[in-house]
Amino acid sequence: MTHILVTAKLVPDLVEELEIAESGTALDMTWLRLIINEFDDHAIEQAIILKERSGCEVTVIAPDQEGMDDVLFTAAAKGADRIIKLVGDFEEGVNNHALARTLAASTKEIGPDLILTGVQGNDDFDGSVGPYLAEYLGMTYVGYVAGVTLEGDKAIVHKEYPGGLIAELEVTLPAVLGIQAAEQPPRYVAVSKVRQMMKEASIDEVDVLDLDPSGGLEISSMYLPEAAERAEMLDGDEEEIAARLVEIFKEIGVV
Amino acid sequence: MPERVNYWGIPHEWGPPELYVYTIMFLAGFIMLFRFYKQASLWWKVGRPEPRWDKLHIRFWKFIQYAIVQTKVLNERYPGVMHVTIAWAYFIFFLGTALATIHDHFFEFLFGNALFAYKFVLDIFTVVFLVGAGMAIYRRYAQKPKRLTLDPGFTRSLVMVTVIVIGGLLTESFRLAVDQPAWAWSSPAGWIVAQLWIAIGASDTSLINWHLGIWTFHLLTVAGTIITLPVGTLLHGLTGPLNMFFAKLDRPTGELAPIPLTAAGDQVFASKLSDLTWKQLLDGDACTECGRCQDACPAYAAGTPLNPKELILSIRDALRADAAAVIGGNGDTPDSPTLVGDKIKEEVLWSCTTCGACVDVCPVLIEHVDTIVDMRRYLVMEGAIDAELQGALANLGRYGNSFGKSDRMRARWAKGVDPKIKDAGREPVDYLWFVGDYASYSPTLTEITQQTADVFQKADLDFGILYKGENHAGNDVRRVGEEGLFEMLVEKNLKALSRSDFKTIVTTDPHSYNALKHEYASNGNGEWHVLHYSQLLDQLIASGQIKFSKKLGYKVTYHDPCYLGRYNGIYDAPRRVIEATGCEIVEMPRNRDKGLCCGAGGGRIWMEEGEVTERPSESRIHEAVALNGVDIFVVACPKDITMYADAVKTTGQEENIVVKDLIELVHEAM
Repeated sequence: MTHILVTAKLVPDLVEELEIAESGTALDMTWLRLIINEFDDHAIEQAIILKERSGCEVTVIAPDQEGMDDVLFTAAAKGADRIIKLVGDFEEGVNNHALARTLAASTKEIGPDLILTGVQGNDDFDGSVGPYLAEYLGMTYVGYVAGVTLEGDKAIVHKEYPGGLIAELEVTLPAVLGIQAAEQPPRYVAVSKVRQMMKEASIDEVDVLDLDPSGGLEISSMYLPEAAERAEMLDGDEEEIAARLVEIFKEIGVV
Repeated sequence: MPERVNYWGIPHEWGPPELYVYTIMFLAGFIMLFRFYKQASLWWKVGRPEPRWDKLHIRFWKFIQYAIVQTKVLNERYPGVMHVTIAWAYFIFFLGTALATIHDHFFEFLFGNALFAYKFVLDIFTVVFLVGAGMAIYRRYAQKPKRLTLDPGFTRSLVMVTVIVIGGLLTESFRLAVDQPAWAWSSPAGWIVAQLWIAIGASDTSLINWHLGIWTFHLLTVAGTIITLPVGTLLHGLTGPLNMFFAKLDRPTGELAPIPLTAAGDQVFASKLSDLTWKQLLDGDACTECGRCQDACPAYAAGTPLNPKELILSIRDALRADAAAVIGGNGDTPDSPTLVGDKIKEEVLWSCTTCGACVDVCPVLIEHVDTIVDMRRYLVMEGAIDAELQGALANLGRYGNSFGKSDRMRARWAKGVDPKIKDAGREPVDYLWFVGDYASYSPTLTEITQQTADVFQKADLDFGILYKGENHAGNDVRRVGEEGLFEMLVEKNLKALSRSDFKTIVTTDPHSYNALKHEYASNGNGEWHVLHYSQLLDQLIASGQIKFSKKLGYKVTYHDPCYLGRYNGIYDAPRRVIEATGCEIVEMPRNRDKGLCCGAGGGRIWMEEGEVTERPSESRIHEAVALNGVDIFVVACPKDITMYADAVKTTGQEENIVVKDLIELVHEAM
């Protein structure tokens, strides 16, 4: 039976106004509310769809962040067979290099055939988790995937390109897929089902001692977007606008 | 002295007439009971148990009120009179037959004046019956209202009951034509018919022969009707009264039952026949197919797939079709016949606004809404809900409001209110104002909510709000069928409320009002006094705390919110408030308990609309603009502002009518 591992993380919930911490290099966590990364939610949904379709085993793994238990129990209520929490110093946020290294270490022990992760997250400063994870595991990575079918030790994936192009790729497992969208929107799980899971299911905990963020970005300053009138609207027909654009590019020295 | 003659003209050569009359009737009665038992036993063989034997005195009273006097049937004039004349006549005939039996075998009393009275009453009710039967024929063949089931089964029943009565009348007329007693006037109808036989000069022998023939025919039609009663449309004569007797008494209509548990403690979600209770199955068999619910249903009128009558009949038909399979297969095999999604489509269940109009008009007290919510609970557990509803529920679970906004923004509307509104979680107040989602978050309602605060402040009311401690009250979350989320919201609100020191809760939202009043008490933590703002305003005006400086003089109409009116019987308080502001109320044809739903209730406001011909809110606006000289449509529910402001636009009536909240009138008149 194909074993699918889904990695998930929580990202800042944008219904709250974001504030910059005193350090000036990070968001103020005291005012932050976290929500599951939308793309990871789709990755979980895609895994459950595959389970329903092909009888896979689904494991969801995620770092310990405030509210993660609810997310994991919700995944269990949807049909995840095993839920794992990485317990370590995640509260202040870690970069994706560190997260991917930690996930890679656990993944080696779990030994899944297919790894699904959200293609991106709104707090990806240093690139997204999927490619790093694939790199650390030495696996193939395909991103922007919207649709997966399993055929033996292969996965047929639909990868979305800009401009409405879709490629059908055959990937030999094991592989990491960055999910753009599940085949159907993430399903609703009744609150009582989640509560039931809280009583019945248990979260496996894996201790993470070291977090290695090397290779990531060093944030020197973070600030809210400033309102400014910098936009200049170009009038005229296509020829005129193109000519003016080239002029501007020359002025600012990009061409 | 006149005396009752038994078995007049019936030859005794075949043995004593009592013997075969009683034999036939007992046999017919036995067959009837056996057949009825076969049908009725399905209710408890298939359905789940549910105790409905408490408060017997109230149950008997309900039986008298609804089955004998038939007050609900009489709520509509023509069909009401039509039905009670037929039913009451039969009650009297039944009583007359019973009295005759008593006279024959136990206690002789039918002579002299008692006999005259006896004969006279029975004869008059013969005429009464014929009037009713005539009305029924006219209704079925000339009026043909859309809501009526024009099925041959009903025609057969009408023919049977009419033939019985005419048979009795003819029998009597033949006897009177032969005897021509001095007291024949005490049977006026029979005597009039007898004149015909006398006029045509029929001989005594012929009349006695005709009498014998018709009498035998009468006997056999009565027996035949009794035998076929449980398999025909007259079954409602048994199931209807039973349904009234077993109507729910343990809770008000505004309170839903929690999710039922099996003996093993597992939750039951209604997807199959065997998930329903015996009473819900009885609902199906009790339906008379009168169609009043269909006429009253806003979802049906809007052209959605829901027809409350068809819904209840689907339960009946499913029981008849699948009961054997359910009983044989122990009911719980994976391939046992399903009800929800199969015989009752999902979109039918989602179309319901839970306005309660169907329940309110049902003459046999069928409980449609409870069954619909039970089935919705199943769909929610299956995750079979539309994307918009899913979004709303996810928001409610995460933020405590359907708008998907931060809980910290809940009291943003109060920012400009001066002096600052007390935080009821921090300091004691007399009145805790439970603001509700729409009044808190909807930008179009901010001004109205602020005006409410202003009126309360001007009235020197000691009040406070819960700020971010308030969550959606859960009324419609529960009616959507998301019971777990409802419980979670209740827990959160109870936590905030238990930390607050207040005497009374006041809310502008009828939905919150209903939940806080009926559905929080049963969730522990005692009971509070809950007021709708229309009631509080009414009190403040009466006590002089609110004084008006001017008479508005507008001609307005008032829309009864379902959860304020039909569910909680609050009709007069808002009307008194409107009149106190110096406005004249012109009622819409559908007012008070007949008030039309705006279409938003039961979680409909969160769902995809689906195909509709005319939205209930649009139908309502058309109803209002048709009133002479009315240019203000007054509402007492925040959601109504949203619903009707939209409807005024989509119907293009901006020039003719404006939607105002009750508080806007009060504010203006102060």
